[in-house]
Amino acid sequence: MRMKAAWQNWLEERYNIDEFKTFAASKLVPSHRYEIWYFTGGIVLFLFIMQFITGAALALYYIPHTEYAHKSIIEIVTKLHAGWFFRSLHYWGAQLAIAVLFIHVFSALLLKSYRKPRELIWISGCKLLGISIFFGLSGYFLLWDERAFAAVRVATGGAGDLPLIGGFIKTFLRGGIDVTGETLTRFYAFHVSILPLVTIFLIVMHLFLVHYHGMGLPRSEENRKHGETPFFPNIFYKDLMIWLVVLGIVVTMATLLPPEIGKQADPLAPAPENIKPEWYFLFLFQTLKLFPGTMLGFNGETIAIILVSFGVLFFFLIPFFDRKSSRGEKSPLFTGIGLAYMVYFIVMTIIGFFS
Amino acid sequence: MIRKFMLMIFFVIIETTTAFANQISIEVFPSTPYDRYIIYEMLALFWAGIIGLVIIIRMKLKEIERIQRMESTEKEEKKIPLLD
Amino acid sequence: MRITSSLVTRRTFLNTLFGGWLLAFFSGSLYSLIKFAFPTIDKEPDFVVLFARDFLPIAPNSVKSFAWGGKVGLFLKKTNGAIFALKGVCTHMECNITYKPEEKKFYCACHKGWFDDNGKNIEGPPPKPLEFFDIIISNENLIIVKKGVNIDPAKI
Repeated sequence: MRMKAAWQNWLEERYNIDEFKTFAASKLVPSHRYEIWYFTGGIVLFLFIMQFITGAALALYYIPHTEYAHKSIIEIVTKLHAGWFFRSLHYWGAQLAIAVLFIHVFSALLLKSYRKPRELIWISGCKLLGISIFFGLSGYFLLWDERAFAAVRVATGGAGDLPLIGGFIKTFLRGGIDVTGETLTRFYAFHVSILPLVTIFLIVMHLFLVHYHGMGLPRSEENRKHGETPFFPNIFYKDLMIWLVVLGIVVTMATLLPPEIGKQADPLAPAPENIKPEWYFLFLFQTLKLFPGTMLGFNGETIAIILVSFGVLFFFLIPFFDRKSSRGEKSPLFTGIGLAYMVYFIVMTIIGFFS
Repeated sequence: MIRKFMLMIFFVIIETTTAFANQISIEVFPSTPYDRYIIYEMLALFWAGIIGLVIIIRMKLKEIERIQRMESTEKEEKKIPLLD
Repeated sequence: MRITSSLVTRRTFLNTLFGGWLLAFFSGSLYSLIKFAFPTIDKEPDFVVLFARDFLPIAPNSVKSFAWGGKVGLFLKKTNGAIFALKGVCTHMECNITYKPEEKKFYCACHKGWFDDNGKNIEGPPPKPLEFFDIIISNENLIIVKKGVNIDPAKI
């Protein structure tokens, strides 16, 4: 007890503790019928932290080299203490993080939390979504098994179909004209160093902006009277409970469904039967399938990729197109567009999953 | 005694489930039934820990909310002008 | 007419100098970093040299793979004994193809694309036929050459 008091004294002599306390007490979260969507962001944050920890642990043993990459993962899974579990945890953490991230993004889209003055929150969030997908692709590739190899060849080749900059992006990602060991070291660097740094920066910015503007309110709730709950400790405790349950779910998934490891990648072997990208690429994959090989004399793939790029760009810039909700008016057109995006994503993912 | 019996039942279940499993080239999960039993036991324990924590946090939250309600009513009472 | 005072104040001059200098300094540094981060692009080989004894005796109606740079090349012997070499990469999304001897077709498992044994795209998404190579046999060597490239087998 005396230790604690001494420590508190030490701190108070140096820092204005009361300032922190009033700051914490001043942080309020509006309570209304859509408040449940506030928690999705917290879940993603928790899963990201988990990914950082399990990823750091796995990086202690992983070797990013064509000869050893696959072997080192088998070592992790079969020889190390609970190695299979931590790899599985990293895998399922990623799957769930991306799933909840999509829910978070679509909830923000449909509740129009991107509207003025919160445009930059939306932009930073969309960047985080893109980075997470790239995290997924690069992490999947590090396994260096035949499926991952074929998937990355298709994905980077697809980027190569973009006009003008496509070839540039493709060679940059691959580290050459083909998917080789160069690609493996490149993706390793992306996965463990470049993307995490950018992610931390963006998360800090995202959170700072959310704090700066306050929690977003749906338009319908703006003029209605609603209570406010203090973040500390009420919402924080609720967050904590949800995080614990999410942790339980991830651990259960990791235990019951450890991901398989395929045969080591061989650039000369035929592609394995029925390869499918990870589920968050399925909607893209399925879209590409809709287009024939040639269209009006052009490469169908190129047209598809251009259309998809425009779709993504529009999604990214939605706050600037939706002028009505920026002015605080009802904007049913953009509710429709948001719903269309969501339905398209879900339907295409399901079709891709079962075809 | 009970533990032994549970182990036995567990082994029977596990053996039957794995009998139909296709041959996996690389073992991504410990294959010996004993290891598996330990792992599932751990999982159950982990959930017990989580549920316990959630219950405790819930109780704490309820207590905090009760105090907050009390404080807010006190404030409202203070706003009532005194008639003296 | 002579302007008595300068149109550019000392302050604007210094600001422009400072801004320009910063821009030049950082773009120069960034340029060298980007140059480093981008790979030097190696192109596909014009030809590869293989041992003829490894490839010529394969059974009719079968293929054997070889390395064509970082990609896979396939050496095909048809039922009538004619030999061909082709790039074993699907023209759709660059997946490696396999030869199905019972149907005498090439198959890409990624998106279910089919090519006949002349490399023509007959079914599925592939937009173009497969790329075939020329074959030169000299002494013990089997030289696979990209179409349109002239090489002198005596020099190899």
